[in-house]
Amino acid sequence: MNKHPITLTINNQEYSITVAGHHTLLQVMRDQLDLTEVKYGCGRGECGACTVLVDDDNEKSGRKAIDACLALAATMDGKKLTTARGLGENGDLNAVQQAFVDESGIQCGFCTPGMVVKSTDLLEKNPKATEEEIRFGLEGNICRCTGYVKIVDSVKKAQKVMTKNKKKK
Amino acid sequence: MSTSVVGKRIPKVDSRDKVLGTAEYAGDIRMKGMLYGKVVRCMEYSHARVKSIDFKEAMKIPGVIKCLGPKDVTKKGYNTTIMKLLVPEEFCEVFGEIAEMFIFNQHVKYQGDAVCGVIAETEEIAERAADKIKIKYEPLPVYMRASESRKKGAFQFTSLKPGNLAGEFDEAVFPDNAYGWPDADTGKMGDDLESECDVVVEGNFYVPKQKQCQMENHAYVALYDNRGKLHCWTSTQMPKPVQVLLAELFELPMSRMRVFQTVVGGGFGVRLGMIAEPHACAMAMAVPGRPVKVEFLREEDWIASETRFPGNYDMKMGFKEDGTPIFVEANFCADKGGYYTHGNGPVFCAAAFVHGMYKWKTMRQKGQSYFTNNVPSGAYRGYGNPQTSFVQEQLVEEACGKLGIDSIEWRKKWHKSIGDETWLKGVTYASDDLDGCIDLAVKDIKWYEKKKKYAKQKGKKRRGLGIAVMNHTSGAWPMLLEHTVCTAKLNEDCTVELMASISDLGTGGHTAMTQMAADTLGWPMEDIHLNSGDSDVCGFDIGAHASRTVYCAGPAIIEACESVKKQLMERAAQILEARVEDLQMDSKKVISVKGNSKKSVDARLISKQGVYNFFDPVSGKQIGIPGQIQGYSSFLANHCSPPMGACISEVEVDTETGEVKVLELVNAHDIGKAIHPPSVEGQLEGGAQQGLGFVTTEDIYYDENGLCLNSDFTDYKMPGPSDMPKAKIILVETAPDPIAPMGAKSCGESALMGPIGSVANAIADAIGIRFYEAPVTPERILKGIKESGKTFE
Repeated sequence: MNKHPITLTINNQEYSITVAGHHTLLQVMRDQLDLTEVKYGCGRGECGACTVLVDDDNEKSGRKAIDACLALAATMDGKKLTTARGLGENGDLNAVQQAFVDESGIQCGFCTPGMVVKSTDLLEKNPKATEEEIRFGLEGNICRCTGYVKIVDSVKKAQKVMTKNKKKK
Repeated sequence: MSTSVVGKRIPKVDSRDKVLGTAEYAGDIRMKGMLYGKVVRCMEYSHARVKSIDFKEAMKIPGVIKCLGPKDVTKKGYNTTIMKLLVPEEFCEVFGEIAEMFIFNQHVKYQGDAVCGVIAETEEIAERAADKIKIKYEPLPVYMRASESRKKGAFQFTSLKPGNLAGEFDEAVFPDNAYGWPDADTGKMGDDLESECDVVVEGNFYVPKQKQCQMENHAYVALYDNRGKLHCWTSTQMPKPVQVLLAELFELPMSRMRVFQTVVGGGFGVRLGMIAEPHACAMAMAVPGRPVKVEFLREEDWIASETRFPGNYDMKMGFKEDGTPIFVEANFCADKGGYYTHGNGPVFCAAAFVHGMYKWKTMRQKGQSYFTNNVPSGAYRGYGNPQTSFVQEQLVEEACGKLGIDSIEWRKKWHKSIGDETWLKGVTYASDDLDGCIDLAVKDIKWYEKKKKYAKQKGKKRRGLGIAVMNHTSGAWPMLLEHTVCTAKLNEDCTVELMASISDLGTGGHTAMTQMAADTLGWPMEDIHLNSGDSDVCGFDIGAHASRTVYCAGPAIIEACESVKKQLMERAAQILEARVEDLQMDSKKVISVKGNSKKSVDARLISKQGVYNFFDPVSGKQIGIPGQIQGYSSFLANHCSPPMGACISEVEVDTETGEVKVLELVNAHDIGKAIHPPSVEGQLEGGAQQGLGFVTTEDIYYDENGLCLNSDFTDYKMPGPSDMPKAKIILVETAPDPIAPMGAKSCGESALMGPIGSVANAIADAIGIRFYEAPVTPERILKGIKESGKTFE
């Protein structure tokens, strides 16, 4: 079994670990690093429950959302990652998470960590996203509880708050 | 200032935990020394006998601890469901419940049946070892539909059920194996009255094998500790009944069987009763002192946990020309899957919800379930009612068309109401505002304006409108036991710890319970915490089923809190030398004599002195009244206050591609009182997604050998965010139920029925062709158009 030493920075904390060549980022995050907010829903990129942000200079927002189950951990050496637990500052909630709380955009909560990460990415990339664009943007994140109604409401609420905060700055 | 929180749009109690991802689901549990178990399932056959199991190669893999076969675990058979705990023993015998499932089965009855197991140091090793176990099978004949397995000469699934008939409406309870009522004038039943009718409609329908698709896969951790106690952390919907079933299976007293319900990532019925708790526990018992985790893969969850009851649902209705409903005659013949589990439960309930809807002169409905080689059909949100919506609401619409009667007006005139029998004989409606629901939905979607407009439409894309009404239940009394126990412990600082086994599957149940407690006590919500899920701590509760939590568990919470308040007031009366009835408590917990606020005592002092009860060193007198206050309730429901509702959908059918786009959906629900409105709306919004799935896209498909063809989110298509229509939920609170706690009827399951029937009707309205098989896929639409010879230009 191939072993690879890698360094990951997740939610501003550095982890120097050795990973098996065939292990996905999801497996490593959950089983080696106990970051269980990254959920296993399908393991094949269909449900989005394991969505995390990875820093990427090619993106205007400086980062992009990926399914942790589709990335081999060994290929992620040196990457900076953000999970639901690290979205806000100092362990607090970011605007998207706060909107999900305020709008009750949460039911069983299993898709939620991935959903808030994906929604954050969506709004960072497209602050003026229309409802249609929000819905399309969330196609890769499955929720079976909400019918997406309060999820979309939450994202729209967050969008308003973020726009307002930007103007203030 | 009132601190009332009932009816307020406050954040849910668990929302911060969930939005950060810190809520711990069963699969998130990590324990010291934890091992990993893998259930080895038969993937190659849907019906076979196990000839041999060879563990040799698997045991050679480093890190493998043990392999377990049928001989290494209890030989006791079991049933995954909890029916026998919910009805008297005699009833259970009448229903014919059997316990023919084993932890590891030598007779494989569906693809995914458990054959053996392996325990290893890591999940990966367990999975690799599972691949190395050599199992030889002898294939048996495969039957995927009841129509095949009921035939004479078919292979018998179990000697306990001759003819493969898992269940029907038993003669002892249902004369002539039928549910309904005779015509009061003639004593005739069902279509015996056909000759009296001017218009008769009928249809042979197929309803699909829909999957719950809860996002969290089933997961368990079990530990057989060194004091001989078995612990099981599980994602079940029913922690207390599962405790009883496991104790029975492993022959342990309940004092040595602990079940802990973790945060549950959706249920929708699939986690009603047990799934793989027996496997996790059997593995734990093989390695005492070490926890064993069993977590399903998605595919495994899909093929090895129950689905909705599919099958052939035939219905016939007769009317007088003025629209008077004369009879309904129906039969639902379901594909049971490989094991008895829920027997004929949802098939009965399909009939029950026909019973609760319209004022027929007579109704006669029969139903059977035959064993088949699919994964067992079981509980799924609605429990028979979604199937009925698809069938009944379409036929009513068709009949109104033939009668030339406005179907909105017909429904308003002939639906059951206060004083009429509900889904169950002898139990009558105590509240109803279905008319209000219908009126609001009609107005909101502009029914009549749009109907007029679409009557003249042309082109390849056609729009249509459809309506469906529904009745459901709040808990399953008196059919099933509805019992919840709550203990409310008053802490020394005058805050409350509620101990009750309340399952919140994402429904907002914990929030609603805390709101009800807060309003009962008149205290802020922050001062109340619900401790739920640990069978060692909590008293009895049936678990989450039949849309029961607010209605059946809510009163236990209220009663326990009332008891706390009463005890505080009694102590205050003693201290203030006043009568209890002359006292009042404000939201700051100060108890005072009405009209004399100076004569008061702080409840916080009472709670503190009750615990820290000292003697005054000088006077030698006791300070305060001794004893920690606890409130208690053991509540048994005595009604089921069925809610009703009306849903209207608007669709656009592309006659070239067969694609159906649901444009708009309005669902008005007779909730009585919404304890937590966002949660009630959330139930109805989410239910709409599952309802639309049922009627447009969702069914499990099998190949000719009974192997599943679509066990993932790509090949099994649920409506996604872009597929969902503009959905409007209207909460109708004009008819608070006089029996229900705070007037609140249920909403959890009610959400699916309206969208199903209304979309089916809207499709028929759009293109003038009615579809009898669900889901109404593009293939079926194109086939229907072709067969009809219709053209759309």
